[in-house]
Formats: sequence, structure tokens, C-alpha cells
Amino acid sequence: MKKVAIALFACAVVAAAAQQVKPESQIKYRRGAYEVMNLSMSHLGAMAEEKKPFNPEEAQRYADIIAMVSTIPRENFGEGTDKDTKAKPEIWTKRAEFDRKMDKMVAEAGKLPAAARSGDMGSFKKQVSDVGSACKSCHDEFRAK
Amino acid sequence: MARARIRVWDLPTRIFHWTLALLALFSFTTGKVGGGWMAWHLGSGYAILALLLFRLAWGVVGSTTARFTHFLRGPRAAVAYGRTLLATRRSSHFGHNPLGGLMVLSMLAGFLLQAVTGLFSDDEISTQGPLAAKVSDALVSRMSALHSYNEWVLAALVGFHVMAIAIYAGAFRASLVGPMVVGWRAIDAGDAVPSYRAAPAWRAAIVLAFAAGFVYWLVVVFPRG
Repeated sequence: MKKVAIALFACAVVAAAAQQVKPESQIKYRRGAYEVMNLSMSHLGAMAEEKKPFNPEEAQRYADIIAMVSTIPRENFGEGTDKDTKAKPEIWTKRAEFDRKMDKMVAEAGKLPAAARSGDMGSFKKQVSDVGSACKSCHDEFRAK
Repeated sequence: MARARIRVWDLPTRIFHWTLALLALFSFTTGKVGGGWMAWHLGSGYAILALLLFRLAWGVVGSTTARFTHFLRGPRAAVAYGRTLLATRRSSHFGHNPLGGLMVLSMLAGFLLQAVTGLFSDDEISTQGPLAAKVSDALVSRMSALHSYNEWVLAALVGFHVMAIAIYAGAFRASLVGPMVVGWRAIDAGDAVPSYRAAPAWRAAIVLAFAAGFVYWLVVVFPRG
């Protein structure tokens, strides 16, 4: 009973801490996530376009990284994170639309690992393309140039 | 009354025009869709760059009406032409008129800017222009922004161009599309036949080969080095 209480208390502290991540840190966190996804996607893109040979281990590793990291940005567009950023104010005024596009990206990224493991070049290419389009559709609307 | 035909546009100029129109539309669409179409977007951009370089050279060594010296007039000539056009409601200019010449110049400059900025752009998803790795990130960022904004300048120019053609067809009874397809237009018997010197086709082939070769070097060979 005591252990459960301690565990619950610990969870509550962690949850509270997560909510209180200061705006600058949220911006850093989401930016870092985007950088990692961008550079990893460039590797996958080069393989999908056959600019470099398809390497299964490499493809799977980058696919896993993207799928994992894609979940980070969503919770890092909190209050006060609209300064010194390319994030447009529309993110906060059209939140439902933004969230829908974010969910779409996370969903597409989530299918990358399976596509990279499928051994089928066609579905790998298609999934890399779908992830790219999902990124783009959000950038076009919610990211300043 | 018997109608005579005069040659207005040579074949290379017409092929340039329609290929550019198709590729511009293709580039716009693939750029909007993104994803796997970005490879096509880049390829289309390289082809457009080669076409533009061809057209610049053809403006110097091409047939009479393709040459810059034939159609580039100052703003004063453009205004004077516009006044005459509105007063007489008739346009029978040989080749590009002074207003059209300005339009050609604007579009060539606009498309050239688009092609060149594209070479240095990065969409920060998975596509980089072939020269993006050669310059600083700050410059890449500026080039990418310019590439995005100029897209709408080009859309406006193309819209303006198409609208002008519609106005000529409607208000001035002048079909500009026909001659750009077939190369000639009819004149009334008795109208003066303007002098026209056709540039040989082999010259166009050589100019195009040089333009394409240069672009190939620029986007494939040079980035490897």
C-alpha cells in the first residue's frame, strides 16, 4: 500500500514536471526532434530515390528513429512557445487543424519501421513519400519561411 | 480578299514556349504534393534551367522575332504602344509588341530566379537542391524562402500573361495562341510583309546541347567534386 502510494506520488511529480517544462526548453526539444527527423529522412529519401544503395540495417535504424522521435513535437507546442520560432501563430489559433496534421505525421512515421522491414522496395518508397508529404502539409500551413 | 501568311515564330521558340509551360505546371504541382514527387520536381527544374539558358542564347542568335534586339523596348515605347492599342483597338504587331516584350523579360527573369534559388534550397524534410551543400546554411535558408515566395510572383505573372492573351482575343480580335502553335499568321493582302530571317535548326540544336550540358555539369558533376 505504501509502495503504491509512493509510486503514485512519484508519477504525479513526474507528470507535474512534464507540464511545467519551460517554453524555451520545449522549443529546444521539438527543434531537436525535427532536426533528427530531417537528417534521418534525408538518408531514407536518398535510398528511396536510389541515390544511394538500399541498406536494410541502415533503413530500419533510421525508420525506427523517425517513428520514435515523431511523437516528441506534439506536446512541445505549449503556452509561451510562440516566440523566437518559425512556428506560426495559427498553431495556437487553429489548434484542432494543427493537431490533426501532427497526428497524421505521427501515424505515417509509425508505419516506417514495418515498411523498412518489409523487404519490398515499393512499399518502402511509398511510406517514405507519405511521411514526407505529411511533414510538408503541416510546414506549408504552420511553419514560417 | 486573298490572305497571305507571314512567319512569326520559329520552331525552337515555339517548342521552348510550350515545353516551359508544361514543365512550369508540372513543377508547381510536384512541389505542392511533395514526398516522392520531389525527385521529379528537381528534374523538372533542371530541364527548365536548361530551357531558359537556351532561350537567353536564342535571344541573341535566333530568328528575327526571337531576338532581344527585336522586342526589348523601353517603358516609353510600351506606354505609347498601349495608348495606340486602346485608341485603335487593333493589334497587328510583328513578333512581341513592346508590352509583350516586357512580359517576356519579366517571366524569363522570374523563372530563372526560381530555377537558381531551387538549386540552393532545402525543404528541411528530405530534399536538398544539388548546390545546397556547397554554401552556408544561412544562405540556404534565404534561398529556400525566396524559392517559396517567388512561386507566387510566377503564378501572378503567368496569370497576367494568360489574361492578356484572353483580352487580345476578346477586345482586339487578335489570336496570339494560334501563331505560337503553328508559327505563322495571316495578313491582309496589301499589308507590308516584315523582313524575317530564320535561324537554322542546327544552330538551335547546338545551343540546346550546350545549355543542357552546362546544367548537367552544374547539378551532377560539380556537386560531386
